[in-house]
Amino acid sequence: MSKHRSGDFLERILGGPALWTGLAIMTLFAMGPFLWAFSASLKTRAELYATPITYIPALPTFQNYVEAWTSRLTPFSRFFANSLWVSSVTMVATIVISTSAGYALARFRFVGKNTLMLVFLATQMFPAVLLIPPLLSQWYALGLIDTYQALIYSNFSFTVPFTVWMLVGYFESIPRELEESAMMDGSSRFGAMLRIIVPLAAPGIAATAIFAFVSSWSELLFATTFTSSTEMRTLSAGLLYMAGQYEVQWGQLSAGVMISTVPVAILFTFLQKHLIKGLTAGAMKG
Amino acid sequence: MPVPRGFISRGTRETLANYAYLLPAAICLGGTVLFPILKAIHMSLYQNVLSRPQDYHFIGLGNYLRMIHDPTFWLTLKNSFIWVVCSVSIQFVLGFLGALLLNAGFKGRTFLRTLNLLPWIIPGVVVGLVWEYLYQPNYGPINDILRRVGLLRVPIAWLSEPNSAMASVIFTNIWRGIPFFTIMILAGLQAIPDKLYEAATVDGASVTQRFRHVTLPMLRPIIIVATATRIIWTFNYADLIFVMTGGGPANATQITSSYTLLSAYTDLDFGYAATLSVILLVIMLVFTAFYLKVTKGVESVSE
Repeated sequence: MSKHRSGDFLERILGGPALWTGLAIMTLFAMGPFLWAFSASLKTRAELYATPITYIPALPTFQNYVEAWTSRLTPFSRFFANSLWVSSVTMVATIVISTSAGYALARFRFVGKNTLMLVFLATQMFPAVLLIPPLLSQWYALGLIDTYQALIYSNFSFTVPFTVWMLVGYFESIPRELEESAMMDGSSRFGAMLRIIVPLAAPGIAATAIFAFVSSWSELLFATTFTSSTEMRTLSAGLLYMAGQYEVQWGQLSAGVMISTVPVAILFTFLQKHLIKGLTAGAMKG
Repeated sequence: MPVPRGFISRGTRETLANYAYLLPAAICLGGTVLFPILKAIHMSLYQNVLSRPQDYHFIGLGNYLRMIHDPTFWLTLKNSFIWVVCSVSIQFVLGFLGALLLNAGFKGRTFLRTLNLLPWIIPGVVVGLVWEYLYQPNYGPINDILRRVGLLRVPIAWLSEPNSAMASVIFTNIWRGIPFFTIMILAGLQAIPDKLYEAATVDGASVTQRFRHVTLPMLRPIIIVATATRIIWTFNYADLIFVMTGGGPANATQITSSYTLLSAYTDLDFGYAATLSVILLVIMLVFTAFYLKVTKGVESVSE
């Protein structure tokens, strides 16, 4: 009996004070670095290099954002546009390619289908550095250095395998009878896929779309290796370039950090439910 | 499909049409994964330093022999091991705790979950640069806070001291990876039927007993998948190291994948970089084969 009561006590502690303390510490730890970068991005130059350092800007200003956005050496407006273009095109193309392949793998019987699925899964385990020397020489030979195409094609190497793999699961969970009855009514297979299956798989497709967009947005190594001019840099490559300057401008850099973070944070906030479902469904399937 | 009738049978035509759905993905992966990998293996067999094009010639396994005799390679392998084991184990423990906290029913859970998952979604270069700033000896808040609470007298240049550099990049990597485990384990926790807990409570099981005999066994499959995925990812990705320390000081934070980048970017030695990356691939394939064997075991246990 006394043992039972001690269990209750532990349960109450775990459900009350311990829970709230734990949540507070965890959230502070996760958010602290963002809060610091946000605070620094609003500081004046004098305050950034003042001792002792301050945590809340005395005279908040958007000067760093204006300077980063319009800078001629590191034009974040241009980087932003580049990132947006590369990520959007990668996302749309990935969805088209993967929906088609995912549908086929879910519906048709192929020789070596399981092997193919395993290859898609294994591709994720390949180190990105493995692709850098060969892709660089390949894009160089094709005259694609310093073009959007080189970045978009290279991004397919990690977006396509994962999204195909995720979508196969989604399509398999949709009953075959749905498109079979449409095909009975005279629709072609492709038409049935577009009109019936794609809308039903929309949450899964949305999840893979966000995955493709966010991972392209974050991509760094391809973007620094396959571009050389300032006008072609993405946000990630531009930030790295800025940090490599002779004197690091922490204010502008923090503004650049916020500019790079906010779009993916917003996307993630609105669509996290789908993304998490897609990611974990894959993992739970094993 | 404009294929003449009678020339190819209906069944074959259908099969061909089916393969057409796979064609775009096949072209993509052929051009950006398969061909480059073969090309990397090919490159690894040549002396290929971009700054000395006149020296380009076939050297067979010369680069691999050089690697075996390269003490830096062995150092990076050891560093990779430390980097992976420390990062993933602590990410796992803290991510698990986070999932347990977020699994409790309370108001505003979705909001807190979003905040806690953000470190995982933001670009690696952002993580690296923000933490470089946090660690900065003169203007960074970490030294400032440690000094204010009296734990530190003289500021430490966390990323440029050989003794603290590795621990510092690992700490950042942990911060970044916790949410991954939180998401995975949270999904696993939410998939456990309440009935199991109720039954255990009726049988008089305490909180700790329920955790050990219900929660842990139910989470086993997802824990194995999540940990393996994270180990592979951590081993392969050197973006934080690349941004924060470049592998320095004196290779103290150099892991094998950042060493590969260094060989390509700084030494312009593409033959050697390709060799190192092929070895990375081999290590990962061995690990993956092992992992698939283990997960097959999990499946047969859970069935």
